Amino acid sequence: MDLVSVNGLSKRYGGIVALSEATFSARAGEVHALLGENGAGKSTFIQILSGAVQHDGGSILVEGRDYRPANPDAAQARGIAAVFQELSLIPDLTVEQNIWFRHEPRTLLRTVNRAEMRRRTLALLDKYDFPTLRPDQELRRLTLAERQIVEIAKGLAKDPRILILDEATSALPAREAEWLLKLTRQLAAEGRLVIFISHRMAEVRAIADRLTIFRNGSTIAVHEANAVSDNEIVTQMIGRRLDRLYPERIATATDRIAVRVKGFSSGSRLSGVDFALREGEVLGVGGLQGHGQRELFQSLFGATRASGTIELWGKPVSINNPRQALTGRDGIALVPEDRRGQGLLLTKSVRENLTLSVIGRFTEHGLLSRQKEAELVKEMVDFLRIKAGTPEQLAGTLSGGNQQKVIFGKMLLTQARVLLLYDPTRGVDVGTKGEIFQLMRDLAAKGYAILFHSSDMPELVHVADRVLVMRNGRVAATLEGDRISEADILRAAMLESEAA
Amino acid sequence: MSVAERSVEMKMQPFGIDWRGRVLDRAPFLVACLMLTLIVAIYGSLQSGVFTLDEINLDTAAAMTLMLAATGQTIVLVRGGIDLSIGGMISLGTVIAATRFTDDPSTTALWMVIILALGFLIGALNGLLISLLKLQPFLVTLATWSILNGIAMIILPTDGGSIPGWWVGFASAQLLGLTSPVWMLLALLLFWWWFRATGVGLTIQATGSNEKSAFLSGVSITRVNLVTYGLSGLFAAGAALFLVTQTGAGSPTIGKDYILPSVAAAVIGGVSLFGGRGHLAGTLIGAFVLTLIGNLVFVLHVSSYWQPVASGVILLLSVLASSVAEKAARNRVQ
Amino acid sequence: MSAFLARNRLIVLAYAGMVVLLLVTALFSPGFLSISNMRSTVVLAAFVGIVALGQTVVIIGGGIDLSVPWVLNSAAIVMALLCGGQDLPLVWVMPLLLAGGALIGLVNGVGVAQFGVPPIIMTLATNVILQGLILVLTGGSPTPSAPALIQFLSVGRIGGFPVIALIWLALTLVATLLLSKAAFGRHLYALGTSATVAEFSGVPTARTTILTYVISGLTAAFAGMLLTGYSGQAYLGMGDAYLFTSIAAVAIGGASILGGSGHYLGTVAGAMVLTILTGLLPALNLSSGALLIVYGAVILLTVSIGSETFAGLGGKMRRKAS
Repeated sequence: MDLVSVNGLSKRYGGIVALSEATFSARAGEVHALLGENGAGKSTFIQILSGAVQHDGGSILVEGRDYRPANPDAAQARGIAAVFQELSLIPDLTVEQNIWFRHEPRTLLRTVNRAEMRRRTLALLDKYDFPTLRPDQELRRLTLAERQIVEIAKGLAKDPRILILDEATSALPAREAEWLLKLTRQLAAEGRLVIFISHRMAEVRAIADRLTIFRNGSTIAVHEANAVSDNEIVTQMIGRRLDRLYPERIATATDRIAVRVKGFSSGSRLSGVDFALREGEVLGVGGLQGHGQRELFQSLFGATRASGTIELWGKPVSINNPRQALTGRDGIALVPEDRRGQGLLLTKSVRENLTLSVIGRFTEHGLLSRQKEAELVKEMVDFLRIKAGTPEQLAGTLSGGNQQKVIFGKMLLTQARVLLLYDPTRGVDVGTKGEIFQLMRDLAAKGYAILFHSSDMPELVHVADRVLVMRNGRVAATLEGDRISEADILRAAMLESEAA
Repeated sequence: MSVAERSVEMKMQPFGIDWRGRVLDRAPFLVACLMLTLIVAIYGSLQSGVFTLDEINLDTAAAMTLMLAATGQTIVLVRGGIDLSIGGMISLGTVIAATRFTDDPSTTALWMVIILALGFLIGALNGLLISLLKLQPFLVTLATWSILNGIAMIILPTDGGSIPGWWVGFASAQLLGLTSPVWMLLALLLFWWWFRATGVGLTIQATGSNEKSAFLSGVSITRVNLVTYGLSGLFAAGAALFLVTQTGAGSPTIGKDYILPSVAAAVIGGVSLFGGRGHLAGTLIGAFVLTLIGNLVFVLHVSSYWQPVASGVILLLSVLASSVAEKAARNRVQ
Repeated sequence: MSAFLARNRLIVLAYAGMVVLLLVTALFSPGFLSISNMRSTVVLAAFVGIVALGQTVVIIGGGIDLSVPWVLNSAAIVMALLCGGQDLPLVWVMPLLLAGGALIGLVNGVGVAQFGVPPIIMTLATNVILQGLILVLTGGSPTPSAPALIQFLSVGRIGGFPVIALIWLALTLVATLLLSKAAFGRHLYALGTSATVAEFSGVPTARTTILTYVISGLTAAFAGMLLTGYSGQAYLGMGDAYLFTSIAAVAIGGASILGGSGHYLGTVAGAMVLTILTGLLPALNLSSGALLIVYGAVILLTVSIGSETFAGLGGKMRRKAS
């Protein structure tokens, strides 16, 4: 009998369908891989399983009984624990306090039995042969990889029948990743079910008994792991799309180099990136999440410290903060990843957001000219077709697409001609996506140089002139012309052997 | 010893102790200890009889009101909040004591319980307002400070009233050569141990460290606020009860002298204003530092007016020390 | 017009509260609305208002200034000492002390913006340090009386208007221009709303933060000098009350203590409300204790009205009604 059996599972977020009629089934004692592109519905699926969100339709049976957890506590009560990428740990507690938080062993006086807690911690770490962790170290002193390991220990501490690992290897160095793979086999051998999500094909190959492929919120295929080829899997993940979303790609790149970056490094996430971006070019930056794309964009903008050299339009520059990046016609502008946290003042108007970076330009004798400001705001609202009642509408009340347009407008007003676009279409409706792509091509034709990252691979394939594929903080491959395809990007990003 | 246990024991060996990490983690606390040692050393070299039991008894009594107030403040700061209302609660406590305490110990004891209960309830009300209306602790407690202060002024418009002699004598009562304030100091540390050892303290600390993670782990934020601010009010009431043994009277305005010093004592002792970090031992040392500066200024024969200057400089130094240590620790991780 | 009302709901409410309060007071004490009484109310409110100008700017930027009491007190005492009752030295003493106030603000601002010291601790420390230095300087003894010119600025009149009211009006105008019509204002609101977004938008966040504390140092020092004129001499502790009232005026004026919202025009109403309440209670035969209770209740009420939960409830009730 299946341990988990899911039928017709559906979930909508407002107008966006995250899951539609998804099916899934898995047995005790197996490692079951879940595959799909970003936005295929994997994360919604595991959030439902772990009790973080609730489904709209369909049914889940766990051990034959109906399952609909109201919160993570309820999910744990049914023996399901999830290890997410976004960690649920407390920075100021120690490793062991985190592992047992709210489930600490007690003494007769109801105080935490620290000796027992230490013994259980070490027993747990020992049983599953954890990489060395200091139980008494505070979490905020740990590296990202170590925190990920603590999160795994926290999940296992609940002795779950079903353990969900969401890209748990992506933050881990090779040796620890290997340990985790061994761990999943051990857990399966103990009769547990491990639902394993990874973008690394080699890992999936190494440990999965079966795999389920999601696409566009539905289940596409279920395979025995040893009965299917890599190419088949990739093809099924991508599927065939009939999209008229993308504008015609007319090469507008000139020979003039807008940005030349050499030996760019930042912390452990970015190690020695070189590339050149030309005037009129849309240069895509792809690869799996967390391989240095974010650090590359933030460093170029001066929001993160980095070493290495940048030349802008042939002149070496040093950019220490965003203000320096945005200054002048030779500036660099960023449409940031986190629209609400980095891009927009949600409680301020469209007008105030649009002119924030260039407000000094509207002053006469030290006073703002509201008329000059209003004219430019109107021009930009019309140019970008921002749908707001008035420019006084609060930015937080706009739709995602229109919010993104406001950020674009703010950056275009700075007159910087190098644009860094970090996942600009994330959470944006299809219509606006098309507009944004058209805008990018128009700007490129006007001589802007655009560096463009997207977590949605087809966008890179259809919009970018060239694509840099990043892996482990480096440029693993540069794809041009016919070589820009989802399969090629995936291969360069996932299959370690080929690019090595 | 079973085989499994032995393997566990062996596993513990390779950890050793990360001294550098420990020092960096406790840098602000160690800086506070250093300051206290320095102050005591200077004080001791200029004044005879510093290293005696009498002196310890005396200094602890002088610092105890601040220590009690700062204990509550420490709990609130570890939660990531701030409590300005303790000023009002201390004033209110002293005026109730000065107008209601009698020579009859049982009546007085009843009023003591009432004052302590009032402290907890008013504090809990602060916590409730903060949670339910999603208000800022700073403004809520500023408002309740004003209200409590006003009530205190209505009960007793000017300094006065009287405290029965037997209760005034409490502060100098001795047991085994130690006066009651020293025993209270030990009791405070014992309380802190209990507080941290049970889930209550851990939950409050976790909530102050990262409210979202705590919430995701199933913590009720409303309950945390209720208990946090309730305890702060309780300790402020306790501070008022002790304060009247020192002043022998009630004062409707005296409480405000403890609001910001209670925060300062905690910060000097290494408690973070951003929540999640801090230890009562540090706060108590901070309170000693702030109190002993007064003695130091006295034996140095300089104007006593240098005392606030010195405490301000010490406050800044300790904040800067902790930020330097924090940077060093962060660099180590990377 | 309705958009204006919606965006400045809290400021409008502060003024509505002020008017209601005036009417209520007039009901209980018919003499309250007399010209002479209104004049003295405005004069008293002006001191709160001027100190609260700097506090408003700091709070909008996401900080808080606890050093106000002793910046004010220091300026008052040093001015009285340096002038020795003479008008002439004011020519250099006043600019000097304004610069001194600005310098304290600079120290606060640099501590907060460059060294990452929490505003509460930074400004608390400068406050006690100033307090000690002034105590050392004066030895705790009273200081000479205020120069006549300063007395004229605080209690004199021009054409029936109190001079200080005119000064307050001028400062209100300047503050309004600064907040609404200058690039600084935009940067300030952005900074207080989200320091990260401001940084990512190229706002000079450190410079803006420092400037807020400099402004607060300036207004506190200025208010200190004027207050000396009002009371005839400088004395120790004269600034203590202004910590609470300056923050309360900002809160009642509708600014969020977290920063990013509010306006000095609201603070003006807040200062008036606090001062009218001070005048109302004697009329009702209530003690100063009652006044503190009312202060606290008014602060609680205004911040509750401003809170999201309350706004959410209001929205729900409106939806139900329609």
